[in-house]
Amino acid sequence: MSRLGPVPAAAGRRALRLLPAARRDWAEAVWAEAHEVPAGWPRLAWRAGGVLLIVKEGQMVRRFGILSLGAAAVAAAAWAAWPKSSVPLIHGSADQGDVIITLTLLAGLSLLTRRLLGPPDNRPARRVRVGCYAAILAIMPAKAVTDMFVGAAPHGGIDLHTFDALYDNGPLPAPGSVSGGPDWGGEIFILFITACYVAAFLVLTARRAKVAPATLAIGARAGLALGLVMYLVDPLGGGKLASDPWLHGSAADPLVALAWVLLFGAPMVAGALAAGRCPLADDPGRASKQRAWQGVAAGLVSSGVGALTVTALGFGTTALMLKSAWVRGWLYHGQHLTASAVYGRELYASGGMAFYAVICIIFPIIGLIMSLSGSGYANVTGPQPGGGPGGPNGPGEPEPMPDPPAGGRLADAGVLAAAGALTTLRGG
Amino acid sequence: MGDRAEFSPQTVSVLAALCEEPSAWQHGYALARQTGLKSGTLYPILIRLADRGLVEACWQEEAIPGRPRRHLYRLTVDGALSAATALAKAELAEAEPARGMVRPGIGDSPRPGRRATAPAVP
Repeated sequence: MSRLGPVPAAAGRRALRLLPAARRDWAEAVWAEAHEVPAGWPRLAWRAGGVLLIVKEGQMVRRFGILSLGAAAVAAAAWAAWPKSSVPLIHGSADQGDVIITLTLLAGLSLLTRRLLGPPDNRPARRVRVGCYAAILAIMPAKAVTDMFVGAAPHGGIDLHTFDALYDNGPLPAPGSVSGGPDWGGEIFILFITACYVAAFLVLTARRAKVAPATLAIGARAGLALGLVMYLVDPLGGGKLASDPWLHGSAADPLVALAWVLLFGAPMVAGALAAGRCPLADDPGRASKQRAWQGVAAGLVSSGVGALTVTALGFGTTALMLKSAWVRGWLYHGQHLTASAVYGRELYASGGMAFYAVICIIFPIIGLIMSLSGSGYANVTGPQPGGGPGGPNGPGEPEPMPDPPAGGRLADAGVLAAAGALTTLRGG
Repeated sequence: MGDRAEFSPQTVSVLAALCEEPSAWQHGYALARQTGLKSGTLYPILIRLADRGLVEACWQEEAIPGRPRRHLYRLTVDGALSAATALAKAELAEAEPARGMVRPGIGDSPRPGRRATAPAVP
């Protein structure tokens, strides 16, 4: 036993790091108190209780569960996106590169931001971060499926002519061959956009960025609304032949109008709301900067969430359409399509995925501009520092509360009085 | 805080141990011996009580050579009041079944649905 003693003690001291700072004292207390416990099994049992305390207070089970879930999601996405043996070598290497670089970006940027700006310290920040990662992990295999479909020439027949007419428009490729190969410039560009999105979301949700939880929540909700409506308008990319299966390309559709309103209105309203809720510094200049930052953050989050939502859903729907007949049936419900028409739509949808790259660039620019105007509006109409609600001429701040009686800490006399009460109660 | 007076029996035993000497600082091991609780049960209880402002904790100021400083605990004013209430309730709850077990006298048979109570003792 005497030889075993130092081992759990050292392990316990190391395990203290797993606890939040506010709980470390308590675990240290168990370890310090172990010296008073008789050596042997009683001391070992005492220290085992300390380990149990670390497991409970460090929420180890929850942490392990979240970690396992995240690892499973990453592994599933990587497995689905990893090229299978039937994939031609040139496409396979592009897909492998995509998977490796995307996962490296997710892990590397996350560690870098944690070190430089701190981890997220509130629930909306964690949710926005998880949502961003989930969207990127969902896009990765969906993109691999669409890339492979658009890059592989059909085995022959009418499909080969459709392929030539819709996609290549040049001399017919050899049936079953690979048409050209991956667009390396496009691949690098998409990886660059991915890196920008991951970095932006990590920074906006980091502790030292000081984006308020309400700002993130407002931005995320506005972004989800924007993304969902955009997806309903264009569930299969920007190609008119494949897209708008239920809108029939009508520009006057109310859904299209709503999408336009949300594209410009969502970041502006989110920016105005977030800026209006921002707690203000006493200095008017600083208060104005705080408002602008919260407004811009809400606008960027809303447009970013919107772009990621529509991209993940659009890529996902297109990939599912290529893999599952029931998705085609759902998209083109009630429409009689020949096999050639189905192939044409699949090919056109797969080729129209560049539309989402445009969305991912345009949305944040619109979000930035509209949120600046929204926060500017809130700055003019919202409460001013020192002036109370309603601006400088509004009612002033409420009277400060009188100081509490001296000493918030325990007074021995108070304890004794309470003990007296206890004695009376027990005696009675 | 004060509204939530329902404590587990283990918590009540910790409060009772702290109430023995309300103004004195006590060690974790001493509390464990008094209550019979293991460290894995005792310390989470102390943490919850401290979170609720019922117990305060501090580190021993002077260390004994060769031993680490110890963590000390005692009740706050709120803690002492809550402990008093909880202990009184616990005693009352202990007394209730004992009273209920007193056999009623002849002719005093309780009606169905009514609880038997011991006759008042002068």
